[in-house]
Amino acid sequence: MTALVELTDVSKYYGSIRALEGVSLEVHAGEISCVLGDNGAGKSTLIKIISGLHQHDAGSFTIEGEEARLGSPREALDRGIATVYQDLAVVPLMPVWRNFFLGSEPTKGRGPFARLDVRTMRETTRSELLRMGIDLRDVDQPIGTLSGGERQCVAIARAVYFGAKVLVLDEPTAALGVKQSGVVLKYVAAARDAGLGVVLITHNPHHAYLVGDRFVLLKRGTMAGSHAKSEIALDELTRQMAGGSELEQLSHELSRAATPEFPGGHRSD
Amino acid sequence: MSAVLAAVLGASLAGCSSTGGKRAEDERAAKAAGGRAAVDTPRWTFAMVTHSGAGDSFWDIVQNGAKQAAAKDNIKFVYANDEEAARQSQLVQSYIDAKVDGLIVTLAKPDAMKDVVAKAEKAGIPVITVNSGSAESKAFGALSHIGQDETVAGEAVGEELNRRGRKKALCVLHEQGNVGHEQRCDGAKKSFKGELQKLYVEGTNMPDVQSSIESKLQADGAIDSVVTLGAPFAPTAVKAKEQAGSKAEIDTFDLNAQVAAGLQDGSLGFAVDQQPYLQGYQAVDLLWLYKYNSDVLGGGKPVLTGPQVITKKDAAALQEYTKRGTR
Amino acid sequence: MSSTAVPSPAPSGPPAGGAADDGLVRRSPVRRLMGRPELGSVVGAIAVFVFFSVVAEPFLRASSLSTVLYASSTIGIMAVPVALLMIGGEFDLSAGVMVVSSALVSSMVSYQLTANTWVGVGVSLLVTLAIGFFNGFLLTRTKLPSFLITLGTFFMLTGLNLGFTKLISGTVSTKSIADMEGFDSARALFASRLTLGGVDIQITILWWIVLVAVATWILLRTRVGNWIFAVGGGADASRAVGVPVVKTKIGLYMGVAFAAWVSGQHLLFSYDAIQSGDGVGNEFLYIIAAAVGGCLMTGGYGSAIGAAVGAFIFGMTSKGIVYAQWNPDWYKFFLGAMLLLATLLNAWIRKRAEAKA
Repeated sequence: MTALVELTDVSKYYGSIRALEGVSLEVHAGEISCVLGDNGAGKSTLIKIISGLHQHDAGSFTIEGEEARLGSPREALDRGIATVYQDLAVVPLMPVWRNFFLGSEPTKGRGPFARLDVRTMRETTRSELLRMGIDLRDVDQPIGTLSGGERQCVAIARAVYFGAKVLVLDEPTAALGVKQSGVVLKYVAAARDAGLGVVLITHNPHHAYLVGDRFVLLKRGTMAGSHAKSEIALDELTRQMAGGSELEQLSHELSRAATPEFPGGHRSD
Repeated sequence: MSAVLAAVLGASLAGCSSTGGKRAEDERAAKAAGGRAAVDTPRWTFAMVTHSGAGDSFWDIVQNGAKQAAAKDNIKFVYANDEEAARQSQLVQSYIDAKVDGLIVTLAKPDAMKDVVAKAEKAGIPVITVNSGSAESKAFGALSHIGQDETVAGEAVGEELNRRGRKKALCVLHEQGNVGHEQRCDGAKKSFKGELQKLYVEGTNMPDVQSSIESKLQADGAIDSVVTLGAPFAPTAVKAKEQAGSKAEIDTFDLNAQVAAGLQDGSLGFAVDQQPYLQGYQAVDLLWLYKYNSDVLGGGKPVLTGPQVITKKDAAALQEYTKRGTR
Repeated sequence: MSSTAVPSPAPSGPPAGGAADDGLVRRSPVRRLMGRPELGSVVGAIAVFVFFSVVAEPFLRASSLSTVLYASSTIGIMAVPVALLMIGGEFDLSAGVMVVSSALVSSMVSYQLTANTWVGVGVSLLVTLAIGFFNGFLLTRTKLPSFLITLGTFFMLTGLNLGFTKLISGTVSTKSIADMEGFDSARALFASRLTLGGVDIQITILWWIVLVAVATWILLRTRVGNWIFAVGGGADASRAVGVPVVKTKIGLYMGVAFAAWVSGQHLLFSYDAIQSGDGVGNEFLYIIAAAVGGCLMTGGYGSAIGAAVGAFIFGMTSKGIVYAQWNPDWYKFFLGAMLLLATLLNAWIRKRAEAKA
C-alpha cells in the first residue's frame, strides 16, 4: 500500500543554517505518525514543508507515490493535506461558523452577486461539531471564547469536513491541561478511525504513545530514531525523547543536590 | 503604467475639449515681461526664506516678482520655505553658511528669527524683511521692510464695509493661531461700526471650510458680509452662501484669478490686495540697489505695498494679470 | 481606547454546554443587536444629536441637517474603506493627500492636454488605483508595518502633489477647468445637488450611502468579507487555511484608493481648481471616524456602518459647535472633548453589551 505522504532523506537549509537533514517519515491512511523532538529540533520546519509554506532542498517528498513540491498552503489543501497549528489554528475574534469555513466558503449566486451561503454555513458548522461531540449552543460566538481544546477540535472537525486525507497537527496538546488534552487526543483518534493519515507533532511522549502507530524522533534537525509502536516501549521512547544519557546525567546531578526526582517527560508549555 | 499611458494618448486624441485648458492659455499671448539682464553688475546670489506652508499660491506671486527683478538685475535667485519657525531659521542659517550676497526673510514669528538675522548682519550679508515683521525689522538690523501692515489692512476692510452699509460681518480664519490673521480680523473689528464675528475653519480641507461657513450662515441669518482671509476661500464662501440661502456679500483679502473673475461677475463684493508681486520684486531690487549703490529705501519705516481695495471696476484689468500669476 | 473595546477573546467563556438543549442555534434578536460593533457609536450619535438639538436652535432645521450630512459625507466616503482596511489590520496614512493627488491628476491631465474632462477623470482613476496597489504591494512585500509604509507614501505624495503642480501649472494650485467640455456632466456625477422636499441634498451623501451599503454587503455576505476579518484578526491562521492574504490586503488599499478618487473628483468639480497643499491631516479624521464607529485599532473587528456613524458624529460635532455659536477660540477644544465623550460612551456601552451577551 502506498503511503499518503512519504518523506525520504529530506533536508532544508536557511542560508547556511541546517534546519533539517536526512529526515524520513511515512504517513498511511488510518494511522498516526508521531514526530517527537525538543524545541528547535526541526519539527516546525518539517510541518512547513508538508503544509506547503516552505519547500525542501534535498531528498524526496511524495504524495500518494507522486513526487511533490508544494508552493502554498492552498496547494497543500488541494492535495488533501490540512494543517492545524498550535496557536494559530483559528481567528479568535471571528464567529465559530466563519472560522469553520474560512478559506473555503460556500457561496450562492453568480459573479458580483455571489454571496455567502450563511444558512448552510451555520447549520453545517453546528452539525459537524455535534458529530465530533461538541454541542455549541451559539455558533455566532467568537471562537476566542471557546477553550483551547475546543478550538483545536473545531480546527480538526473543519479539516475532516473538507475531505482532508492527511491531517498535520502541530502540538495540539501543548497548551492544554490533562483533561483537555485527553479530549483532543480522542478527536485525533476519531480522525484516524475516519480513515485519515495523521501527523502528530508533539514533545510529549506519553501523549504520542497513547495514540501513535509510528514514532520519528528529531534532534537538532536530524533524525535520532524511527520506530513502529511494536518495536518500542513507552519508557524507551521517553528516555530517547528526553535526551537519553543526558537525562541520566541530569538526574544524577539533581539527586546530589537533594532535590526531588525529575518527573520526566511532561511539560506544561 | 503603460495602460495609463495608452489611455491618456488614446483618450486625448478622441476626447479633446474645444474650450478652456492649456491650449486656451497658450492662445492668450499675454506673457510676463522678458527675462534679460539690463545691468552688468556681477552675478550676485540672493536668497529668500519665507514662513509659507507647502502650496500657498500667494508665495508663488511673491516669487514671480522676485524672479522678474532677478532677471533684470542679473541676480541668481534662490528660494526656500518652512512654516515652522525653528526650521525656517535653520534655512536662513544654511544660506548664511553658503555665503549668499543678500537675504530676504519673513518675520512671521520674530523671536525665532532674531538670532539668525543678527548672524547674517555679522557675516556682512544685507537683509531685507518682507510681508511680516514690520515692527521688528528695524530693531533686528534689516535694511528695509516691504509689506503690508495687517492691522491697517484690516481697518481698510472695516471702512469698506462701513461704506457699503454693512451691519454684521463674519471673519473666516483658515489657520488657527496665525498672528497676522488675527490682526486682520481685529483691525476690521476696530474700524467696522457693525458687529464682527470670527469663524475658524480647517484651511486644508475645502469641504470643511464650505460646510462650516454654511452652518454659521444658517445659524445666524443676520450676517450680511463674509470676509475670507485668503483668496482660495472666497469662491468656497460663495458656494456656502448659495447653499445656505443667505444674502450675505462675500469679500476677501488677497487676489487670484478666481477672485478677479468673481469681482467681475458680482459674486464677490471687494478684495483687499497687498500686491505680493511687488513685495518680491522690490525686495530683490532693493538688495541690488544696496549692493550697487548703498541705497536704502523707507528711512527706517516700513515700505507699504497695501492695502489696496479692489472692486468690480478694477477687476477687468486685473484678470489677465492674475491668470499669468503676477497679481 | 482600543483595549477597552476588545470583545474579550479570552478562552474562559462558557462554551460547549454538555447537554444539548432544544437546538436553539441563533441568539435572541436583542442579544444579536448588543453584539454588533456599531451599537456603541449609534448610541453616541443619538446622544450628540440630542445634545445639539437642545443647545443649538438652528441645528434641527432641514437645511442645517443637510449641511451636517454633507460635512459627514465628505469624511464618511473615505472613512468606510479606511474602516475596512482597519478591520483588515492595516492603516493608510496617505489617504488624506491621496484625495488631493487624485484631484490634481484629473485636473492637470484635462487641462494640459486640453482634453475632455472625462479623460482626466478616467486617468485619475487608474493612477489613484495604482497608488493604492503600490501601498498594498509594498506592505505585503516588505512586511513592514503599514504605519511606516504609508507614512512614506504620505510624504512622497505630498511632495509629488506640490512638485508636479508647480512644474506643470507654474503655480501651487491648478488652473480652473470649469470652462472645459465634459465639466458639467462630471460635476453632475460628483458635485451636484438634488432637491428633495425643498431641501438641497449634496450628491456626496448618495455616494456615501452607496459605499456604506456596498462595503457592508462585502463585509458580511461575501467570501472577501470573511477574508478581511480573517487577515485582520489572524493573518497567519488565515494564510494557513488558504486565504489569499496578499490579494486581500492589496484589494483593501485599492478600495481606499477608489474612495480617494471619488472624493478627489468631488473636490475638483465643486471647487474647479485644486490647492496642491490640501488634504494633509485628513487621514486622521478617517481613522478617528472608523475608530469611533467601533473598528478595533488592532484589526479583525468593526463595521462599515459604524464608520459611517463615526463620520456622522464628527460632522454633527464640528458643525453643531458652529450652530451653537460657542466662542470660536475654543472650537478645537470642544471638538476634541465631544469626540472623546462620544468614544467613551461607545466603549462603555459596548462593554456593558458584552457583559450581558
